[in-house]
Amino acid sequence: MSRRLLAVAGAAAAVGCFVWSSWPPPSRYAPIEVSFAVVGLSYMVAGIAAWQRWPSSRLGLLFSIVGYLYLVPYILVNLANPVAFTIGVLSEGLYDAALAHLGLAWPTGRLRSRFECGVVIAEYAQLVAFSVAGTMFWNPAFSGCNARCPANVLLIGDGSRSAWNTLNTIEAYVGLVISGIVLTLIVLHWRSARGWSRRAMVPVLWIAPAVAAETVLTGSLFNFSALVRYALLPLVLLAGPALFVISTVRARTAGGALGTAIVDLEPGASPTRLREALARALGDSTLQLAFRQPDGAGYLDTSGQAVEVVRPDPGRAVVPVAGSDEAVLVYDEGLQVEPQLVKLTAAAASMALEHARLQAEVQAQLEQVRASRARIVEAGDAERRRLERDLHDGAQQRLVTLSLALGMARDRAAGADPELGSLIESASKEAKEALTELRELARGIHPAVLTETGLAGAIQALAERSPVATTITAVPDGRFPAAIEATAYFVVCEALANVAKHARAGGAQVTIQSRPGRLVVEVSDDGAGGARAERGSGLRGLADRVASVGGVLRIDSPPGCGTRLEADIPCP
Amino acid sequence: MQPAAAILIVDDHDGFRIFARGMLEAAGFTVAEAATGAEATEAARTVRPGLVLLDIQLPDTDGFEVARRLAAAPAGDPAPVVVLTSTREARDYGGRIAASPAAGFLPKDQLSGAALRRFLARDQS
Repeated sequence: MSRRLLAVAGAAAAVGCFVWSSWPPPSRYAPIEVSFAVVGLSYMVAGIAAWQRWPSSRLGLLFSIVGYLYLVPYILVNLANPVAFTIGVLSEGLYDAALAHLGLAWPTGRLRSRFECGVVIAEYAQLVAFSVAGTMFWNPAFSGCNARCPANVLLIGDGSRSAWNTLNTIEAYVGLVISGIVLTLIVLHWRSARGWSRRAMVPVLWIAPAVAAETVLTGSLFNFSALVRYALLPLVLLAGPALFVISTVRARTAGGALGTAIVDLEPGASPTRLREALARALGDSTLQLAFRQPDGAGYLDTSGQAVEVVRPDPGRAVVPVAGSDEAVLVYDEGLQVEPQLVKLTAAAASMALEHARLQAEVQAQLEQVRASRARIVEAGDAERRRLERDLHDGAQQRLVTLSLALGMARDRAAGADPELGSLIESASKEAKEALTELRELARGIHPAVLTETGLAGAIQALAERSPVATTITAVPDGRFPAAIEATAYFVVCEALANVAKHARAGGAQVTIQSRPGRLVVEVSDDGAGGARAERGSGLRGLADRVASVGGVLRIDSPPGCGTRLEADIPCP
Repeated sequence: MQPAAAILIVDDHDGFRIFARGMLEAAGFTVAEAATGAEATEAARTVRPGLVLLDIQLPDTDGFEVARRLAAAPAGDPAPVVVLTSTREARDYGGRIAASPAAGFLPKDQLSGAALRRFLARDQS
């Protein structure tokens, strides 16, 4: 039979006995019976639930003990049996000691010191001792229970009302002192706790005084009516099970908050931000996220503090993040009662770190791709420059020489053989035309003027050659890196070619401005508009070219309102 | 007819120098040659040409630099007329030709004795 089933069966049996023993209740006792049942049962249920939630902690057992010590004496005194009746009377009030035990053992279920064990034992002992002593002098008739009650088997003679009263009063004062000690210890627990444990102690700070006040008020020092004393005041004891509910809700909330914190964490957030988010969500301000140092020099947390991981400081516990020992979470030991929450936190941290790692990897890859794209474009430019130069040094040079030679040949032949002269003349013309075409080809491959004079001269040359009237409003005179100059040049070249081909424009305007850190190239016309990068592969290629140096190409071309093309190029 | 001036052809391309020399000698000029910028300044000092036909692209330096050096010749020594030349067109050099101390630019394929004479005449006028 499982522990859970056993606990449920025990609680059910207790309640069954309770109902059986007190049924049917005299009507004036009904509220008291209900109050007893509710309080006792609530502790039993809390005990079963706590046992489920914290199988390795004694809290479940302590809740159950309070429940049984609360309910069982009541059952016993209701049985028409002198021995049972006497045991019931003796054990009444023992639950106070179990409550003190529970309060001192919160939140781990363990008492913190020998002294505290002593306090708990003293509480149990004084209750038993005063109970036994008092019962020896207590005649049930003192409490108005004459013929209805079974006999008190411990009663000496007819008992002594004064001795019984005196013992009750002494017991009440001793109880007051022990309650004071227990409450002081609880406050000290709260003060010395940090992180999760401190927050777990907060509800106890409110509940413990209330429960202590209840035990004092229902004791012999005060005279309340039976209804208040036995039915209303005991309802304060429901605060005990409420403690369990509060801690459960808190753990659930923390679990949910962890998920939200990870989702809300901005991409690529630093480990410091991650730690803050986790600590806030978890409610453990002492949470540390520590990383193993590459040189094997131990672990450092996000604030750069060295963290002992193998033998953590007292009150601290360690969990690895994602199964590896690259990163660990160091948390308040009190959290160990919530292993699911610890696991969830480690998983959340692992996910966030993995996300950040992937993000960094993608960023690095993107950076590599950007750099390689820029290199490819630069290599292309260099190759075009080389081609142009080769044409200039080779074929163009030879054609020039050929043209000169033909000119000389023509001059010599002209007098002697006019027919040969005109033949050479036409050959010379051919050579000249070939040279012109070759020059155009070379210029298309790479404009020598850009290499020779920079942007100002090259843009001037472009404007002069453009079939559409082109005004240059501004071009910086200085030189820029070759890739920037080439990009700016090709933007203007392609834009002016588009103006001539598609825009049906009356005029175009070129403005190049050097601003801090960038070069802004603008070409506008007064033509038909309607140009789009997606449509013309020329503009698409130009956008790619601008992007290769990290720039942006913007096209503003509403139909009928001209086209404005702007390249914003980063420039060191 | 005035005595033909000496012409210094500065070009690293042998073929061009040979044909240019042939053409200019046929046109009545005395011709000297240099293949690099350094040779050009040296030849200008010894030959004292009336005109230097100076290729812009040279193996050791460029024509603009050589033109500057020739223009900075010692006082009292009449500086030669410098005509820059290239297989490229003048506009390929933007404002650099106008900014140089050279008298002008002549595309290589338009080289002729008559064209050089025009430069010399312009210099004397």
